[in-house]
Amino acid sequence: MSIPLYGFLEGDTVGLLVLAEEAETVLDLARKLQDAANIRVAYKDRIDLVYNGRAVDPGLTVAQAGLQALDRFDVIWKGKL
Amino acid sequence: MLTREEWLPLARKLDWDYTYVREDEVFPQVISGHPWLPHAEWKDWEESFKTSYREYVDNQYEKDMAVYAVRDAIGRLENIQKLAAPWMNSLKVHAAALPLAEFTGVIGSLRGARFGRDSAWRTMSTFGALDEYRHTQIPLLIFHPLVRWDSQFDWAHKFYHTNNWFAIAARHFFDELTLGQNAIEFAIGANFVLETGFTNLQFVGLASLARESSDHIFERMVTSIQTDEARHAQIGHPVLAVVMKHDPEYVQYLLDKWFWRSWRLFSILTGLSTDYLTALEQRAYSFKEFMEEWIIDQYLRTLDEFGLKKPWYWDIFEDELDIYHHMIYASAYTYRATLWFNFVIPSPAERKWLRQKYPKYWDDMDAVWEQVAERWRAIGPGAANELAVHGTAMPTFCDLCQLPLSAGTPRNNTAKAFAQDGRKYIFCSEPCQWIFLREPERYANHKGLVKRVLSGEAPAQLPNLLTEYFRLTPDTWGKDVYHGAYEWLAAQKASTT
Repeated sequence: MSIPLYGFLEGDTVGLLVLAEEAETVLDLARKLQDAANIRVAYKDRIDLVYNGRAVDPGLTVAQAGLQALDRFDVIWKGKL
Repeated sequence: MLTREEWLPLARKLDWDYTYVREDEVFPQVISGHPWLPHAEWKDWEESFKTSYREYVDNQYEKDMAVYAVRDAIGRLENIQKLAAPWMNSLKVHAAALPLAEFTGVIGSLRGARFGRDSAWRTMSTFGALDEYRHTQIPLLIFHPLVRWDSQFDWAHKFYHTNNWFAIAARHFFDELTLGQNAIEFAIGANFVLETGFTNLQFVGLASLARESSDHIFERMVTSIQTDEARHAQIGHPVLAVVMKHDPEYVQYLLDKWFWRSWRLFSILTGLSTDYLTALEQRAYSFKEFMEEWIIDQYLRTLDEFGLKKPWYWDIFEDELDIYHHMIYASAYTYRATLWFNFVIPSPAERKWLRQKYPKYWDDMDAVWEQVAERWRAIGPGAANELAVHGTAMPTFCDLCQLPLSAGTPRNNTAKAFAQDGRKYIFCSEPCQWIFLREPERYANHKGLVKRVLSGEAPAQLPNLLTEYFRLTPDTWGKDVYHGAYEWLAAQKASTT
């Protein structure tokens, strides 16, 4: 099932609506946001996905990470938190 | 024969004591506003721009004739066509946003004309309503005929009839401020905050840009409008003075709320024109400098005069002066097909100027423009490539101001997700969340664009959203003015290959 989320990529000027799949990994979700914002923000390889103030294990699935509809997540440059 | 000074109070102080109805039946609180006070508290209501009906008609006639004379002399299509292409798009923004918003001002003023608590207030509001009707018709008269030459000018009338995202935000603002408002909040929010402060930005600051851009018809139009605004804006001060005596906390709240909401809207309306859609050599000031000169100094002086405090969010506001409209412009450029006017990429010379004017965060904005330029370099210029240099994911919007979640900085977007009564909301900033929480009954049921898409009310696919919901067409949706064919971009590409 798709989960609509508010995604914010470091370096971007606007938040984007991202449809996540419960079974996809947190890393895939972060890459999805990077792709969506690539018109404005250059791709960076080393990133963290931050949810509720903490970096999330990139190997977890979206469901395991506990992301729910209309939550906010951030993708930041790795090691900044 | 009475002198003018003797005639004006006689002609404007017209109330009597009601015997056959109660005063609160004539002026119910729900529509006259809070606090409800007996007329004895309002009977000394006075403002400085007293005028009579005859003076009003004479003055307005002369002002109209001056506008028409300029239009007849230099307002022909061939004159308009000589204006710089980016500036023309600033005109399209104002052609759409201004006229029907002014008509909502008619309704708000008429509420003051009926439910204002003193006859002098009602008299001034009656003239104010006539003013606003003039401000509806003059821009329609000037701009709407241009639709024969450029279909984007159709939005001079169409804008507020669409569900375009910016129209949703503008209606959310004006429906509350002018159409659905009681007389006291209208006087404080519209007459005092918006007209005393922010319309100076629009009508004085922008008039000087129009003059620099050789757009004398727009200059004359906004200058003429401002002379009306300066008069009927005076309604706000004496209303505020009376309410201050009885409920100063409420006054502070109304000022803080409407200053923030006005800032949000005008930072886009004026900010984009000032710093991006005016040619570099014609920019006398930056938008921030306009704000500092025309809004901040005067507003803070006025607050001090009434014993009021700066808004609690003043530090946030001052920080936004350096960045908010830049965030919006870059976002809007990359979603330009969602709007009805065209955009330009700031050139290297313009980016240098922007860096000088906005040093605090420009490094991060410059990186965004470099990325956009890189996309054009890679794809190549041309109208057919427009959508290849465009966002595809759905942008998101604040549940209070309805504008994009573009507050904060590129490194730290300040959007705040929030849940209440089983519903989720998101706000672009702390002040927007604060306003929502002060009056949740007013705002909670409004469905923003994202929720309309998720519920199936609006199409999820961008092309369908543009054409079916925003009522744009491939002819009218926004594009890059030059379709990416910038000399500086070509030169950069040549130097790297």
